[in-house]
Amino acid sequence: MFMYEKRLQHPVNIKNPNPKLAKIIITQYGGPHGEIGASLRYLSQRYAMPYPELRAILTDIGTEELSHLEMVGTIVYQLTRNLTPEQIQEAGFDTYFVDHTTGVYPIAASGTPFSASTFAVTGDTIADLHEDLSAEQKARMSYDNILRFADDPDVREPIKFLRAREIVHFQRFGEGLRILTDKLDSKNFYAFNPSFDKH
Amino acid sequence: MSEKEALRRRIYAVEFASWELHLFLDTHPNNNEAAKKQEEYRERARKLRKEYEEKYGPIGETPHNTSRWAWISDPWPWEKEAN
Repeated sequence: MFMYEKRLQHPVNIKNPNPKLAKIIITQYGGPHGEIGASLRYLSQRYAMPYPELRAILTDIGTEELSHLEMVGTIVYQLTRNLTPEQIQEAGFDTYFVDHTTGVYPIAASGTPFSASTFAVTGDTIADLHEDLSAEQKARMSYDNILRFADDPDVREPIKFLRAREIVHFQRFGEGLRILTDKLDSKNFYAFNPSFDKH
Repeated sequence: MSEKEALRRRIYAVEFASWELHLFLDTHPNNNEAAKKQEEYRERARKLRKEYEEKYGPIGETPHNTSRWAWISDPWPWEKEAN
């Protein structure tokens, strides 16, 4: 089960609104490399995992991603406080505002709403773990790109925290993949599908 | 930053270290050194939480430890006042 603890994993306290930045950062809420996709990917893949270490790491990282989703939502929320119609229009935030006002909607920076087609659950442990490594790397890349556009230290600080978590998760998934391959025939890692063959 | 806020942050920093070790132990369940370190952080967090709760009341509101009024009226995590 999940139970709510009424706090963020890492504090977010942004003094100055910046709708232009919010429009970019929201991509980590509902974009192709964002936190909702990360969480759903890991929490859905875990059922087919054949080894206990893999079930544990997917559950824990999938759970942590929900805390990251909340942090990104908070950044977007705080960046869009007390805006005038002029500020909204100048920032190009009007195209978002017209549908969502300042509600936080899972959407990519390009405007595409969140889709489960941004991730896969194959039931094949090798395919899923490789995807997870790739996903962490892509999320880190997105945070790096956000940092190119964000000069407000109040924004950079929590974004850097989130970026660092992607690196740790990449490492843990790499270890997970190694746990898997250590148990397979080293002459042919692709010979069988452990999660399918088990049943 | 108030003394209360500084203590709150210390607790969450220690608990974060414990969480990090928890993830590490998922893929290294036989690593006794990491398990020992995690136990140390857990113990530190327990002591700091006790100190906080004696001085200021519950920390890290959950449905199990908070009053119905605090739950709805204390700032929500996305509000600046909560951070």
